[in-house]
Amino acid sequence: MSAFGSALAGGFIGTIVLTTIVRAAAEMGLTRMDLAFLLGTIVTENRRKAKAIGYVLHFLLGLVFALMYVGFFELVGRSSWWGGALLGALQAVFTATVLVNELLPVVHPRMATTDSAANQYALIEPPGFLMRNYGRNTFLVTLAAHIAYGAIIGALVSVG
Amino acid sequence: MATDGAVDWLCLPNFDSPSVCGAILDAGRGGSFELCPTGAFESSRRYLPGTNVLETTFTTASGSVRVLDALTVSDHGLEPMRELARSVEGVSGRVAMRWRVEPRFNYAGGVPECGWRHGVPVASHGCDAVAVASWDAGQAAWHGEAVGAPFEMAAGGRALLALAAASGEPLVLPARHAVEQRLADTVRFWKSWTAARTYDGRWRDEVLRSALVLKLLIFAPSGASVAAPTTSLPEKIGGERNWDYRFCWTRDSHFAIDALLELGSYDDAKGLLWWFMQATALTEPRLHPLYRLDGGLRVIERVLPLAGYRESRPVRVGNAAIGQTQLDIYGCLFETAWLYSQGHRALDADMGRVLARVADYVCDIWRQPDSGIWEVRNGPFHFTHSKVMCWVALDRAVRLADRGELSGRHKRRWEREAAAIEAYIESECWSAALGSYTRTAGDAHADASLLMLPLMGYGTGSRINGTIDAVMRELREGDFVYRYRADDGVPGGEGCFLNCSFWLVSALACVGRVDEATALMERLAARANDVGLYSEEIDPSSGEFLGNFPQALVHLAFIDAAVALDRAAGNGPRT
Repeated sequence: MSAFGSALAGGFIGTIVLTTIVRAAAEMGLTRMDLAFLLGTIVTENRRKAKAIGYVLHFLLGLVFALMYVGFFELVGRSSWWGGALLGALQAVFTATVLVNELLPVVHPRMATTDSAANQYALIEPPGFLMRNYGRNTFLVTLAAHIAYGAIIGALVSVG
Repeated sequence: MATDGAVDWLCLPNFDSPSVCGAILDAGRGGSFELCPTGAFESSRRYLPGTNVLETTFTTASGSVRVLDALTVSDHGLEPMRELARSVEGVSGRVAMRWRVEPRFNYAGGVPECGWRHGVPVASHGCDAVAVASWDAGQAAWHGEAVGAPFEMAAGGRALLALAAASGEPLVLPARHAVEQRLADTVRFWKSWTAARTYDGRWRDEVLRSALVLKLLIFAPSGASVAAPTTSLPEKIGGERNWDYRFCWTRDSHFAIDALLELGSYDDAKGLLWWFMQATALTEPRLHPLYRLDGGLRVIERVLPLAGYRESRPVRVGNAAIGQTQLDIYGCLFETAWLYSQGHRALDADMGRVLARVADYVCDIWRQPDSGIWEVRNGPFHFTHSKVMCWVALDRAVRLADRGELSGRHKRRWEREAAAIEAYIESECWSAALGSYTRTAGDAHADASLLMLPLMGYGTGSRINGTIDAVMRELREGDFVYRYRADDGVPGGEGCFLNCSFWLVSALACVGRVDEATALMERLAARANDVGLYSEEIDPSSGEFLGNFPQALVHLAFIDAAVALDRAAGNGPRT
């Protein structure tokens, strides 16, 4: 399988595993993070449609990040499951501290920020640093899910 | 909702979720959402006509205030997963008010994390969270694990509070105009639903209130109907008979379908029937007495470390009755299908195949003893009511086969076994000494469940009249009826089950004793609480409500009694 094909396969499988881990963690009461809801409400305020659209967006992002992982592997000239896991861990830290915490509220039209006008329209609770607003274990869940995601991509690329 | 404006029981996000407000089961630490004047007041309540929106008017020495409470319906926008809206309006003078929310997640078993999001107080625990948005209702502040504020309400003034809940997802912090809009939409939704009901008999107001209760007890995501939204409200103050009713009972289904069809609520009837067939798909032909609202069967009864309603312990969640054998539920299933079919709604072919398999199963098992309609815990016994309901199952199976709704391949067997059941009942479950059918085969005791016999079309003439008389003689206390006077394996006493009183009305109407039935119905109708609701039981001496509240079966029995009276009086055509 080509590196591109491995990336897409890894991205697809990895995103399924990542989503499953986050959903299972929510069912276990560890987090209120719902990636599909957060992403989908960027494009629609209908909460039912938002979850469906959000899942599609999340899978697309999963594929995009997988391609970036493969690009990195090509750059350093080697790939492995643990290398992917390491990248996943880095992505989790970036996600929790910058991407979701800082950037998402800026681009998300329906997420509360310090600059939002109060009471004009419904707002989604912001994630906060390390996404702790969604539960104190949210970062650990995110970390575990992204490590699994990265490891799967790394493993598929290395055997592909 | 208490008369003092406090929300003392609120499970989120679903009926069967752990409570966030549970003060009704533990006043000290259960949690509540209080909203009332700061000083002395009197309160009066009503539902806005034709709605499930509660209006409480507080009257104080300095003025009066009106509060509207509603769980809002969805507007399909970006709204909270669940929302309780509380709108405050100054009617006269100036009234010092206060509100206070003390969320106690997981039946008060979890310590909440309290904080703020975007200026809105938020409490969370695990995957559950609530936000309390308020507008013109004072400056909210956390005091320990409770948030609240004092505020003043002048005539013409308006304030608004919204408790927004989320489970497994981020909170949505609502905007004021959207909450107001959803509250208005909720009033319109209920009025529209009520206007579409077709019952127009003598008891119209009371029946519509019961219908609104019934609709409110339907779990919208699945169509299942919860028996009652509470757990462990005691059958006797200080007693041990405290059960969790936040499940869908198979038994209730035929009462509910019957009532919904009588009320012209075909969509809800269809939803309930389909939910039920879906829930039983994995276990048929065996049925279970109750199912979770999502159709699941994993229901573990356990005791919570709560003080209990007026010290009535244990406080239980879950219900061990799910594991019992209760033969009457097969009759309930077939009566449900029969009523649905009779309402000119064709059964699905798959449904017909399932029903045929269940009918065969009834032929195999009707000779077994069971725990019966009352779910006794010292059985099993050969309950007469259970045998009659097995007869109902096979009788309706034959009728459905005759209508082509299910395969008639085994019809002869069903007819043969139905005749055998009837012979058994007439020989083993009749007491000449009592002049009545008996509680169980071979004994000489009355049982209120026998009032169902004429309602199910079993028996005629002197035996049914004798049975009604025996129940009245042995079990009646004033206008109320005890279930039975026998050991049932559970310590402690209980009140009179209100559904039994309404079954008595229906039975009397059914055998033509209309004046007697009407007089009883009039007295029972006056026993509803200030907003027309009934609990499971009543203390016959004090008139105090007992048991879980409000109870679907009682309201269903009320509707059935009203329709039976109308029909007996000749002014209630069946829809």
